[in-house]
Amino acid sequence: MPGKIKDMIDTIIEQRAQGSHIIASTIKIKLILKGINPDKYTAESPDNIKVINKLNKLAEELRLKL
Amino acid sequence: MNVITAYSNKANLEQITQDLTQQFGEFDTKMVLFFASSTFDPDQTAAQMQATFNNIPVFGCTTAGEIVTGKMLKNSIVAMAFNADIIEDIDIQVVENLSKGGTQGVDHAFAKFKQHFRQPVLTMDINQYVGIILIDGLSGAEERVMDRVGDLTNLLFVGGSAGDDVKFEKTYVYANGKAYSDAALLALMKPKIQFDILKTQSFCALDQKLIATKVDEPKRTIIEFNNKPATVAYAEAVGCSVEDAANHFMLNPVGLMVGDEPYVRSPQQIQDQNIVFYCNVLEDTELSLLEAQDMIADTKQALENKQKQMGSISAIINFHCILRTLELEAKNLMEDYGQIFSDIPTIGLSTYGESYIGHINQTATMLVFK
Repeated sequence: MPGKIKDMIDTIIEQRAQGSHIIASTIKIKLILKGINPDKYTAESPDNIKVINKLNKLAEELRLKL
Repeated sequence: MNVITAYSNKANLEQITQDLTQQFGEFDTKMVLFFASSTFDPDQTAAQMQATFNNIPVFGCTTAGEIVTGKMLKNSIVAMAFNADIIEDIDIQVVENLSKGGTQGVDHAFAKFKQHFRQPVLTMDINQYVGIILIDGLSGAEERVMDRVGDLTNLLFVGGSAGDDVKFEKTYVYANGKAYSDAALLALMKPKIQFDILKTQSFCALDQKLIATKVDEPKRTIIEFNNKPATVAYAEAVGCSVEDAANHFMLNPVGLMVGDEPYVRSPQQIQDQNIVFYCNVLEDTELSLLEAQDMIADTKQALENKQKQMGSISAIINFHCILRTLELEAKNLMEDYGQIFSDIPTIGLSTYGESYIGHINQTATMLVFK
């Protein structure tokens, strides 16, 4: 199912930012520095397992549920 | 006046601390931040600075040059005293043994912050708390530490990597009357007044893209850009010969773009056909070639913009990359740069890298108070 990566990224940002635009933009920068650029993934992006695993690991470190 | 700055370049530590004390006068000091040239003995510096200001938090690090209101200095100690009207509360934690790897020390520091402030750091209001990080500039651990800090909190931690006057031998952070090497200092503060971060890098992005297709992350080394030897691809992007490539590093670093804003990654040296950087670049990262702009004009403009945005600025802590300082020195612009900060109480240092969300290079990254 394409688009899983975008969903995961959106969930991480949403859960962590809790509605704050400032925190959301900071998390976006953190993701880019971690090697995942949110702007590069759309609802049509293929499900790259390497990126999905990386996001799962990140969610675990952030104690978020995807 | 909520802060006061002082500097001294007297011959020895005893005279320096006396000089600083005299300059601070009767100021009701709650906390002291200082930056000291590596020419001073680290253990004595730490002990004497703490003893001078007695039982208040006193912290800082070694430098590759110092900045104080209106001046760029060398072989000095600069200090900023804060009163209780600007700093409501502060807790300082030191993470030691960075070279052993891992990030448990950072987790431990955050557990201590929770105890001190009686609130989990993750739930703290980003408008009420801000952190300063000072880290051993030769540890190579900045990315790891900042990454973990970012995982544990939404608060901004800003700071820099301690220097040693470009000797690249040993750097120290100072707290609790002690000098720590192989360590990071995390200071979490609750200011009483509005604060903000100003990051400027005085570069613009060019069209040339370099994708890091093969890297040695722990060694901060790029082996291939665009599937070519790193030096070849970099030289092609700049439009110079491979032999001349290193001469362009300072004015043409590369940037990880976040929108229009570069997070600068500065090349340090060529090893074989690889390029060693001052900070980590992850594999598959797309970087833009950057071109240096007028640093004085850019910094002045960035400060004016921030002043307009905040209404006023009453104090600045400037974490200023040594590469920018070297460029200013080469162009004989040190005095001009210092003058930018002549009207606002300022201290700062020339760093071995700046900390803001991650580990970055070739910026002036400042914590500013309204």
